[in-house]
Amino acid sequence: MTETTTQQTSTGRHVLDCCAEAERASSFSRRSLLKALGVGTVAIAAGPMVGMRAAFAADPGWSGDTVVVLSLRGGFDGLSAVAPVADPNLVSWRPTIALPANAAIQLDSLFGMHPALVALQPIWNAGNLAFVHAAGLPEPNRSHFEAMDVMEKAAPGSSIRTGWLDRTLGLHSAGSAFSAIQMGSTSIPEALVGPVPVLGMESISSFSLDGTNSTADRNKWAAALNAMHANAPAGLQDSASGTLAALNTANTLATANYTPANGASYDNNSDIARALKNTAQLIKANIGLRVLTIDLGNWDMHAGLGHVDYGWMYNNLTELGGALAAFATDLGSTYLASTTLVTMSEFGRRVQENESNGVDHGWGNVMFVLGGNVTKGVHVKMPASGNLLDDANMTDGDLTATTDYRAVLADVLVNRTGASGADVTAVFPGFTGSTLGVTHT
Amino acid sequence: MDKAVLSRRSLLAGGATVAGVAALGAGAAAPAEAATASIKKVVMYRVGRFTYSSRTHVTTVKSYTKVTVTARFVGSNVYLMNSRKKWTQIPYTWSKTKKGLWYNHYLKLKLDAAAAVAAAQNSPTGGYKVVAPATFASVSTYHSSSDWARHLLRRAAYGPNAAGLADVKRLGYAAWIEQQLNPGTINDSVCDALLKRLYATPMVDQSTAIWRVNHLIDNGDINSWEQYQSVLTDLTIRALWSKRQLLTVMEDFWGNHFNVTIFKDGTAESRANYSYTIRTRAFGKFSDLLLAITKHPAMLTYLNNRDSTATHPNENQGRELLELHTVGVDTPYGEDGVVNAARILTGIGVDSDSGEFAYQPWNHWVGAVKVLGFTHSNSTDTGGEAVVTALTTYLAHHPATAKRIAHKLAVRFVSDTPSDALVTMLAGVYLKHDTAIAPVLRALFSSTEFAHSIGAKVARPYEHIVSTARLMEVQPVLQNLDAPQQLWYQADNAGHNPFGQPFPTGWADTSDEWESTACTLARWNNAIDLVSNWWPSDWNRPALYDLAVGPALPSTHGALIDLAATRLLGQPLADADKTAVLTFLGVTASKALTQNSAAVTYNLNDWLSVLMDSPYQMMR
Repeated sequence: MTETTTQQTSTGRHVLDCCAEAERASSFSRRSLLKALGVGTVAIAAGPMVGMRAAFAADPGWSGDTVVVLSLRGGFDGLSAVAPVADPNLVSWRPTIALPANAAIQLDSLFGMHPALVALQPIWNAGNLAFVHAAGLPEPNRSHFEAMDVMEKAAPGSSIRTGWLDRTLGLHSAGSAFSAIQMGSTSIPEALVGPVPVLGMESISSFSLDGTNSTADRNKWAAALNAMHANAPAGLQDSASGTLAALNTANTLATANYTPANGASYDNNSDIARALKNTAQLIKANIGLRVLTIDLGNWDMHAGLGHVDYGWMYNNLTELGGALAAFATDLGSTYLASTTLVTMSEFGRRVQENESNGVDHGWGNVMFVLGGNVTKGVHVKMPASGNLLDDANMTDGDLTATTDYRAVLADVLVNRTGASGADVTAVFPGFTGSTLGVTHT
Repeated sequence: MDKAVLSRRSLLAGGATVAGVAALGAGAAAPAEAATASIKKVVMYRVGRFTYSSRTHVTTVKSYTKVTVTARFVGSNVYLMNSRKKWTQIPYTWSKTKKGLWYNHYLKLKLDAAAAVAAAQNSPTGGYKVVAPATFASVSTYHSSSDWARHLLRRAAYGPNAAGLADVKRLGYAAWIEQQLNPGTINDSVCDALLKRLYATPMVDQSTAIWRVNHLIDNGDINSWEQYQSVLTDLTIRALWSKRQLLTVMEDFWGNHFNVTIFKDGTAESRANYSYTIRTRAFGKFSDLLLAITKHPAMLTYLNNRDSTATHPNENQGRELLELHTVGVDTPYGEDGVVNAARILTGIGVDSDSGEFAYQPWNHWVGAVKVLGFTHSNSTDTGGEAVVTALTTYLAHHPATAKRIAHKLAVRFVSDTPSDALVTMLAGVYLKHDTAIAPVLRALFSSTEFAHSIGAKVARPYEHIVSTARLMEVQPVLQNLDAPQQLWYQADNAGHNPFGQPFPTGWADTSDEWESTACTLARWNNAIDLVSNWWPSDWNRPALYDLAVGPALPSTHGALIDLAATRLLGQPLADADKTAVLTFLGVTASKALTQNSAAVTYNLNDWLSVLMDSPYQMMR
């Protein structure tokens, strides 16, 4: 168990050491940071009973894409992943860790992708990958806890306590038990906190009754629990039958020997690859999946970020790129047409490297948008004059966030889930920015 | 009128009456006046629609029906005869200008408050002592009407176990509750020994001064995370093994009513002391508890009041004081009320060095303040603390607070939908006893509604796993306290870290908030893991066979299920449920049972888990 150190802020209050906490956040284990924050599966009554047949029927209450939100925990260094390699300042800010222009996979006249993301190159070429750069919170917040809190509640200056994804789902009528899923862990992110029920599962196969090892076992348990709930009050009975139906569906999927399509290959040793493989299977099973969240950490690279061809960033990006590419390939054009994946991170990292060959907490960041209806390109609001990384265009040494992260999410909601302007305001109260065109209808 | 006549009996006989100017919510009714009563036929403007200002107490009648009634006048009080031929005071006063009876809503509010007090006086003991209800009844086919001992332990404790049942039966209903309300009289040596281990050096117990805990964290002697975790492990040790069960239930209850989300930044040095503060005031006067909470560094940090200043008041705690802690959002304190409450609270803060409470007069907003019916000149910066005390006293005694606390307690202990009559009665007891909680609990446990609510509640994840552990008779091991810690992690996994609700609201106590698929599956799996001793596993515990079967093995499978159900749940299963278990085991009732049968060996944990996941144990 990692030792935690505590620091005292200038106000004399104890703040948990940010980076020890970010480390905890990186694991899919039960003791994740979010669990420690006490974020749980706040939920109300389960939706209508999902029988075997109904589980595979269409979801009339949702006609939009399946929205997958991949949270890169710890502060993803967008300037490494998608670097402004043609910016004259980059190398002077990052003498040892800047992405060299000749190693980058060119995206446009300014930006290049880290070579560790080479698996994504075909996805980019096919027009299914876009980036939004210099995106972030409207006000910089360099505290892991606070930034995640503000970002995921997405209702600054209000007393609203739910998450933006919960409010998004709340715009629609109730869906199946599988409408909102946290994949890879049972602790639910703040973005999904609220009245809409959420399923947290480490994997499809883990979504089962402990101790049951076969379909025969599971059927035996289901029959017993079902029978014993026959005289329970309606709420308890409904939740029992709903749960048994969901378990049945999960068992069918888990035992189906899922084969990825189009030659997609997922790394079995990678948590994110496994999570995305399960996600693809759920999407194709057509069981009413609307929103799915995944956590991937640790990106809190204060020291030893590494080199262009080896090290921490290289390893992380290789794993991420491989998993995303497999996911896109596996879905193929049919399913990509109704899927949008977007990455988020609580903040980007400082432009200038520190003395430990790493980078500290910053502001502006890159967001990946992957799907069948994205507008290929690196979307960025450039400064009025000069270069992106001119000191004058930066803020306290950080990449200035010139695009509100909510604009990216609103873009997805409007173009890919049919949200109206009023819907966007309901999900993002107080947000008045316009959409970007990073996705299209 | 002779004051001696103003006994409870005379008040009950005459019906509580209130003169026009008696204080709202006052316990005592004004004496019936000696003025001559007169009865006459008069015009009454029976109210239809009206508006009312809680600030000015002015009623504006918008519509009425003009009728003629026979009214009795005693001084300024007006009475009509009700259907039982009793003169009952009505909220109308004589209007000279209209020459008839005119509706007065302020008077109605006072009559309602007095009626609540009267209802309390009509209750069996009015909170003075517990009277065991005459009859018990179950609302669930899974729970026996006659098993009042298990019912009591499922509500006033974290579920029955052998020792708990023995205590309840030995002392009897009333004496057991009374003892629980006096936790200092209960020998809790086993639990005390465990807590001593939890707080072995370098840890310190919860009563330790905040400045000392702060110092230990600064020095690196204590780790903040472990300090937070100790609060949850402390609660879980008590829930599992303390004999002061009702106290622990109330620590959970108040800890959520006054939620300070565990692990919340900045409360590492104060959160443990916060639990101690709650426990030492759990059964006393709500006004005392409210004041202590309002001034506690954990709350002042969590709701930002320590950052609040006269020039830039932070409204967070002022708002929650009204909305969550006392009168509630349906009481029309308005934004003005929040602003004023925030102003009153400025100055109560925390010393950054020590982490202790500090009154900081330079931060205190000076000037006249008003919140609902509370006003104060608040004319000096040094006098702010007294204004806070006055405000919290006022709020604690407000009828809306009485009703909210009464309602929450009724939901916690009786059912998700307690009757208005019960809530009104409990609110009356609360007010009559100057906001003391113990009398309310006495009245609650004496009530017919409690006695007739067997099986009415659904166990939330923490309750479910703790009560299952108690049924399994788990005991701690010598070497470590891992198992109770793992137990609250399991509850957390199911969405119920007992002090972990992310918002100041605290966890909901009604079943509808816990019916998601994820929560249900997690509860089921938690029980399976626990029963099977897979996780947590670091317990001393009797073998399942000894627990479920005991010394004499029955000869058939049917008899086995009856026996185990009786031993664990206090009653045999209903026929259909017994059939379900037999089917699960793949046997018939009459099939012979031996020591080697699967049902008492490798399948024993399975079917016992089914029982723990069934409504027999999921409901409480």
